[in-house]
Amino acid sequence: MGIPSAPLVTKAFKDLAILNAAKRGMPHERICFTPHPVWGKTPEEVRAYVEGPDPVSGKPLMKEVVDALTVPLSDEERKLGMVTISVGPPTFTDTAENLQDFYLNNGYTDFLPIILPTEEKVDRMMKGSSHKPDEVVGKMAAGAYPPWSYNVRQVAASAVMAGCRPEYFPIILAIASSGTASLFSSTNSFAFAMVINGPIRDKLEFNYGIGALGPFAQPNATIGRAWTLLSKNLGNGGIPGDTYLGSLGNNLNYNNVVIAEHEDASPWVPFHVQKGFKREENVVSLFRGLGVVPGQVARGSSANENVQFDYQMSDLFSTFTGFFGALIIADPLVAARLKEQGYDTKEKLIDWLYKNTTQTVKDYKSRNYAYLFDYPRALRGDEPWATWYKLPDDAVIPHFPRASDFNIVVAGGQTNAYPQAGNLSYSASVSIDKWM
Amino acid sequence: MNRRTLLSLLGMSPALLTTEPALAGQSTAPAPKSGKASLPTGEGKITTINPKGTPPPIQLIPMAPRLDTLDGKTVYLVDTGFHGSDVLLQQIQAWFSRNMPGVTTVFKRKAGPYAEDDPALWKEIKSKGNAAIMAVGH
Repeated sequence: MGIPSAPLVTKAFKDLAILNAAKRGMPHERICFTPHPVWGKTPEEVRAYVEGPDPVSGKPLMKEVVDALTVPLSDEERKLGMVTISVGPPTFTDTAENLQDFYLNNGYTDFLPIILPTEEKVDRMMKGSSHKPDEVVGKMAAGAYPPWSYNVRQVAASAVMAGCRPEYFPIILAIASSGTASLFSSTNSFAFAMVINGPIRDKLEFNYGIGALGPFAQPNATIGRAWTLLSKNLGNGGIPGDTYLGSLGNNLNYNNVVIAEHEDASPWVPFHVQKGFKREENVVSLFRGLGVVPGQVARGSSANENVQFDYQMSDLFSTFTGFFGALIIADPLVAARLKEQGYDTKEKLIDWLYKNTTQTVKDYKSRNYAYLFDYPRALRGDEPWATWYKLPDDAVIPHFPRASDFNIVVAGGQTNAYPQAGNLSYSASVSIDKWM
Repeated sequence: MNRRTLLSLLGMSPALLTTEPALAGQSTAPAPKSGKASLPTGEGKITTINPKGTPPPIQLIPMAPRLDTLDGKTVYLVDTGFHGSDVLLQQIQAWFSRNMPGVTTVFKRKAGPYAEDDPALWKEIKSKGNAAIMAVGH
């Protein structure tokens, strides 16, 4: 802004605040700290914070604030120039045992044993694609940080570490090219998912039958794991306190939710065709959100001849935040029943769900995400939130802002008619063929 | 962990923390923090690829000159929208009234969700204010 400023951050985010300021060019920014949390405290409790010490420096907080705005700048604080950040040498040499420890201790892994990315293995991985080792693949950041860049060789190293085969490599490159990290800095402990479509599902023997979302096939397991390793190594994600703040974390981050769509058993068009690709194209689509829940918990899920999956799904979604979308993962038995009920296209089901998954304004306003994200948009006049916030508490509004917040894929082994659903938003579909 | 240690973990050169002026184009020390993986190739040893991507260089941004005093000045109190930010800034506003009554405070809520920019507000603060306090993260 060109005028002195003093950011106030709660103590829990000290490392994040200092490091992110440094990454943005202000390693000596005068950050002042309050106790944590401020959220939920009474004005009297917060007054005690203001009149008490900065929990980091131990000095009176308001003296810190006033000093931040008035004490003349030091020589350090006036520095200009460009600083490069080193991530170490391009290769490491040692025994395999020591290297396993080295990769683990330096945060290169998911804390499970890895396949060491020897030069030979990385070269073999790169033969899975026609793209050159030094070709830039993309940029990635695990939040509001300056993104890191990476080339084909750097992507291949993480693919090897995850246990991928070279023939999986175009999918890994497609994911990397999206720039989407599967570890995100938010305190919300986000989960991520990918949907694989096209003939490559059979060529690589993805599992989209019994246990489609479980650990029952190498491509499902290792490609999902690779996404997390890419996010750590290429996007600098997953550093607790710095680039990862999820309070509880998310077990899905180990290998993410990998869904190969069961295209042949689906009564509807495949997901990638909905997104404008041809059926014969190979595509990976990415999602971000909070996680996945089973349909069995919903009202209307009693397994009888009258089971109505539309009502069941709508009930399931009523606990979701509308900030993220709803991804329906329908077993083929579920999809077939829905078609029998008249939903002969995904769009018809989505339209019904959008119109019938509703909430009162009172319930809506009580939700965390509404306060944090929608209310500021409403104040700015953004729709539909501006209108929603003007309505009376008993007015009924859609649970999700747009019909496009709903997405449907079909997977599963048809051993029972159970859907699952993710509070997950669609973010992008990327061609795998481009990276062959 | 102090700021120096934190910046060291980031891979920033210790020179960044000194008063040496020449930083342009400077390369810093390797980031890996532990392990023995830099020994010569020999029997039983293998060579592996560093899987890390490439961080962008950091352009240092000069901090704005500080004020001689806040007395008689206007300080904007900017609410980011995080839960409790308004309560905290209202208490800070009250503190100024009690302890530094010569300071004029202006409370403003930043437009949009917390992560979105608000250039109109920054422009207003620059033209009408002398300093800003932004809270809270989080």
